[in-house]
Amino acid sequence: MATVQVSEAEKVYILHGVRDDLRVDGRGCEDYRHMEIETDMVSNTDGSAKVTLGHTDVLVGVKAEMGKPRPMVPDEVHCCFAWKFEGRGGDELGMELSNTLYKVFNNRYSVDLKSLCISPGEHCWVLYVDVLLLQCDGNLFDAISVAIKAALFNTKIPKVHISEDEEGGKEIELSDDPYDCMRLNVENVPCIVTLCKVGHRHVVDATLQEKACSVASLIISVTHKGTVTCVRKVGGGSLDPESIFEMTETGKRVGKALHAPLMALLQEEESLGKKRQKVGFLG
Amino acid sequence: MLKSKTFVKKTRSGGIMKIVREHYLRDDIWCGSEVCTECKQEETVLQKDACIESNLCSFPHYLLPDTNIVLSQIDILEDPLIKNVIILQTVLQEVRHRSAPIYKRLKDILHDKEKHFYTFTNEHHRETYIEREQGESANDRNDRAIRISTKWYSDHLNNTPTDKRLKVVLLTNDRGNKEKAEESGLLTYRCEEYVKSLIANPELVDRLALTNDDKNEITSSKVLFPEHLPLSRIQSGIKSGTFQQGTFRASRDNYLEATVFVHGEGDDSTEVLIQGLQNLNRAVHQDLVAVEILPLNQWVAPSSVVLQDEGPKEDDVTEEEEAELKSGPSGAASRKPTGRVVGIIKRNWRPFCGMLFLSQIKEATRHLFTPADRRIPRIRIETRQAATLAGQRIMVAIDGWPKHSRYPNGHFVRSLGSAGDKETETEVLLLEHDVPHQDFSQAVLSFLPKMPWNITEEDMAVREDLRNLTVCSVDPPGCTDIDDALHCRDLPNGNQEVGVHIADVSHFIRPGNAMDLEAANRGTTVYLTGRRIDMVPELLSSNLCSLRSSVERLAFSCIWEINDKAEIVKTRFTKSVINSKASLTYAEAQMRIDDANMNDDTTKSLRGLNRLAKILKKRRIEKGALTLSSPEVRFHIDSETHDPIDLQTKELKETNSMVEEFMLLANISVAQKIYDEFSECALLRKHPAPPPSNYDILNKAAKSKDMVIHTDSAKALADSLDAAQVDGFPYFNTLLRILATRCMMQAVYFCSGMDSDFHHYGLASPIYTHFTSPIRRYSDIIVHRLLAVAIGADSTYPDLMDKHKQSALCNNLNYRHKMAQYAQRASVAYHTQLFFKSRGILNEEGFILFVRKNAIIVLIPKFGLEGTVFFENKDKPSPKLIFNEEAPSLTVEGHSFNMFDKVKVTISLDASNVQHQKIRMSLVEPVISGVSVAPSEPEPEVKRAKLDR
Repeated sequence: MATVQVSEAEKVYILHGVRDDLRVDGRGCEDYRHMEIETDMVSNTDGSAKVTLGHTDVLVGVKAEMGKPRPMVPDEVHCCFAWKFEGRGGDELGMELSNTLYKVFNNRYSVDLKSLCISPGEHCWVLYVDVLLLQCDGNLFDAISVAIKAALFNTKIPKVHISEDEEGGKEIELSDDPYDCMRLNVENVPCIVTLCKVGHRHVVDATLQEKACSVASLIISVTHKGTVTCVRKVGGGSLDPESIFEMTETGKRVGKALHAPLMALLQEEESLGKKRQKVGFLG
Repeated sequence: MLKSKTFVKKTRSGGIMKIVREHYLRDDIWCGSEVCTECKQEETVLQKDACIESNLCSFPHYLLPDTNIVLSQIDILEDPLIKNVIILQTVLQEVRHRSAPIYKRLKDILHDKEKHFYTFTNEHHRETYIEREQGESANDRNDRAIRISTKWYSDHLNNTPTDKRLKVVLLTNDRGNKEKAEESGLLTYRCEEYVKSLIANPELVDRLALTNDDKNEITSSKVLFPEHLPLSRIQSGIKSGTFQQGTFRASRDNYLEATVFVHGEGDDSTEVLIQGLQNLNRAVHQDLVAVEILPLNQWVAPSSVVLQDEGPKEDDVTEEEEAELKSGPSGAASRKPTGRVVGIIKRNWRPFCGMLFLSQIKEATRHLFTPADRRIPRIRIETRQAATLAGQRIMVAIDGWPKHSRYPNGHFVRSLGSAGDKETETEVLLLEHDVPHQDFSQAVLSFLPKMPWNITEEDMAVREDLRNLTVCSVDPPGCTDIDDALHCRDLPNGNQEVGVHIADVSHFIRPGNAMDLEAANRGTTVYLTGRRIDMVPELLSSNLCSLRSSVERLAFSCIWEINDKAEIVKTRFTKSVINSKASLTYAEAQMRIDDANMNDDTTKSLRGLNRLAKILKKRRIEKGALTLSSPEVRFHIDSETHDPIDLQTKELKETNSMVEEFMLLANISVAQKIYDEFSECALLRKHPAPPPSNYDILNKAAKSKDMVIHTDSAKALADSLDAAQVDGFPYFNTLLRILATRCMMQAVYFCSGMDSDFHHYGLASPIYTHFTSPIRRYSDIIVHRLLAVAIGADSTYPDLMDKHKQSALCNNLNYRHKMAQYAQRASVAYHTQLFFKSRGILNEEGFILFVRKNAIIVLIPKFGLEGTVFFENKDKPSPKLIFNEEAPSLTVEGHSFNMFDKVKVTISLDASNVQHQKIRMSLVEPVISGVSVAPSEPEPEVKRAKLDR
């Protein structure tokens, strides 16, 4: 991951600041930086969103394709979908990101898989999520997870229905109205909160400088109800069980607080419809 | 300004794809009107004084039709009266999507400067582009786009300072659309309303296609036909096998009978018989239909009765005739799979040529139209100019066939000229056989070489110089498109060098250009009696490509070294330049060969060729090549009136077969070469062996003369045909060969990559193609290109190596060749009629070729003419007829007619039906009372009785 060089004096300054709940850019330990979200950015995807968090800039696109469900999927769930994350800028970073995201999102609770089923055992929608990092200024995971949630919210899957003839042969028919499409329920899609251990305290949404002062961080994915779906430690240092517990609690609190305004914002944007002023990549 | 258009579509593999297209809007799209001062256009299309006398719109106006108007009333739009029309891009695109032929016609109108049709690209205009709204169907969106554009035009034209009277009139038949347009203050009329308002030109109303609203008025409420199933039901039915899909072919002789040719998998195709008006269920010849096979106990045999739909039967089911139909042979063996039409998958209607059958009611505007093609039902049309159209050949298009109407409804398209006129008749003949015969377009002509044309240095550099050889051509008299020439000379080693030089048409026609595409579409030159419809423009066919004498011409040469036993030692192909020393006719060449006093190079060359040809022919016949005969008729045409003055069957000379022999040799050599080089995409010609059942009639015929014809192989057939001689009946052998010809299959072009059976049955050659007539056959051009690539004389191009494209091309060529043959025959038949018209009634001897249930078919050797003698007569009680299918023989009042019997008939022209004039034959000898007629000029009453049937 991208790193910056931080001198000893800077490190001490940051550590002391965090200790006093006052970070270099004036935030408290549990504050996020300014976040901008815009959906429906890329017209040839089924759903897309761009999230800017500080100077971190990520673009996420979701494509739905028709596919066959995997046979080993448990009986009660007839559908499955795979997430494919392809990172850019270094295989290692890409691998790490995609592994983590796979862990976080690939479960049947994030998205209602049944809604992605077209005909049990034969056809289902497979969602492909592409993440493009435009700029990296720390805290990639949080930004990506928010962008994924926004992109899934924005995803419009064309409605199809299966017509069956007398012989039992199935034919997939596509509605000819482009407005006739299915939306996903993204309520349970988790957001990632990354907590960085800086000195004795931990901060959310660490900048690259703060990250340089941290020995280890914890990635926690939290749903809107505060349920933790995944916890993962990254970084070279170690964490004692006590602080893990503390950090998880903070993660839950922050995560819950993150979901509500995010959903409100997405809904508001949606309601504007075509009247919305598009910002795009240059704005 | 950039917009994006997004739509979802299903891919062929079953996936679903979202497609996003960029769509740019502009503000520099002009209105195209002469009055407009605002638009910065360089040229205007729409006129200032767009006036047409109308009692609805007394002011100058532009018309703006919607898509359905264009689709259904293209005949109206094509009328020269209709000018100043705005065609929106939306409309153009929809038309293109819905009907390719109409799109082409619309494009032609748009290109016609006289018509003042303007395409307004509203979809790219900033002010008229609209996006589809939520819940709006694609059609509604397009209707809205049309309204928005109409609105824009009216506002735009209103802004012009000069003339404020100019208006735009929206034409639409859609009620909802009309209402909405009127709400927003647009001037809107239905097409019928508008056309009927053109009081100065009432004839235009005839060309109106009938729309749904009108049909209800015409027909009674009685439902005559079962409903057609919707397409979705048909499709699922075909999938499940309850229905079969096939091409509907109406019977020529019986209007209540048809067959549907069902393509099965592989070679497994069947013919389903359809009988009766109800079962035919409004299918028209050549439609793609879905049929349901009836249960086995309802299967019937095809009737051998000739039935013609006579007179206008107003909507009553002709039960009587159907009963007659069913009384056919009910032997279980002759029963065929029988079915009924349940739905139409695709109509294949085209405009039909024919004549008007006037209604008996005076002042009636609805008349029946009788198409020239007997397989097409009569069509009811509405016209006010019936009196003028009577006696003319006209074209009519079908609009629809409602289920409670006995006949389909249609409308008048155009008049071709008065019936019986030679020009008109030829036009009809060409149209009916789908022969493209328009003059070559400017685009095509633009690819002709510039005159004066000369052979350039570059040409000479890549070609072999064969100008010093004694090359000559031998062709029928009057031939201007000479595509082959020959030479023969002795080599120092005792062998002989023989060259076949073929006009190098592919040098002039380059792949893919307009001339090439036109030639590919035409496929072949069509030779009618007294007229030739060229495949390539005349400059090429009769001049630059034609290997005339004493001029330097480009050629593609096939040169063999042949030893004394006419065995090929060496073959080579080369592009060359030749200078023919003589263009001879067959007769001239024959004279030179026979005249011992002539000893010039050309004559020597001819003698050498002739000698080799005889050996080649002998060897070919030994291998089992068939010599079949089919009487070919030739007319002596009066040079002034172009009427035929004499008629004779073509005579074959030795030189004919000499030229033929070397052409065959060249074709075979080339076929082998291109197949060796391109095993996947060589264009070849094959002639499949006929199935044994085809020979039934031949076997029966031979048996009647106590002879056996072996048909197991071509060789056996050829031998037994040679052996079949009857003393004192020299024509018997020819008759037998004529019959054998009828048993044969059609030879077809095919692409070597798509087939495995290459054999040419008739020529007994394992491989064959056409190389020697590139001026008149497109297949030869392709073969030339392949050969040129094979010898490195020319470059290749992608389509040449694409076996699917080749195969599609072959299909077109086969179709065109077939149609050209039919057209040729029809032309000969027409001129035969003209001949007999001028000659009056003749008595001639002939032979019975076939025996039918109620007639015999007689061949007159003198004229190569075939005709039918009917024994049944509507006005008279029919004589006692006993038909023996096995022999076959027909016993009339005790006298039995067998195949090959000699009879004497009178030949006259039956002109009672102007449309289907035919040669009428009646029996003179043997004399059977009540059946035969007097040998000399029959009395007028008797004659009329004969003619009226």
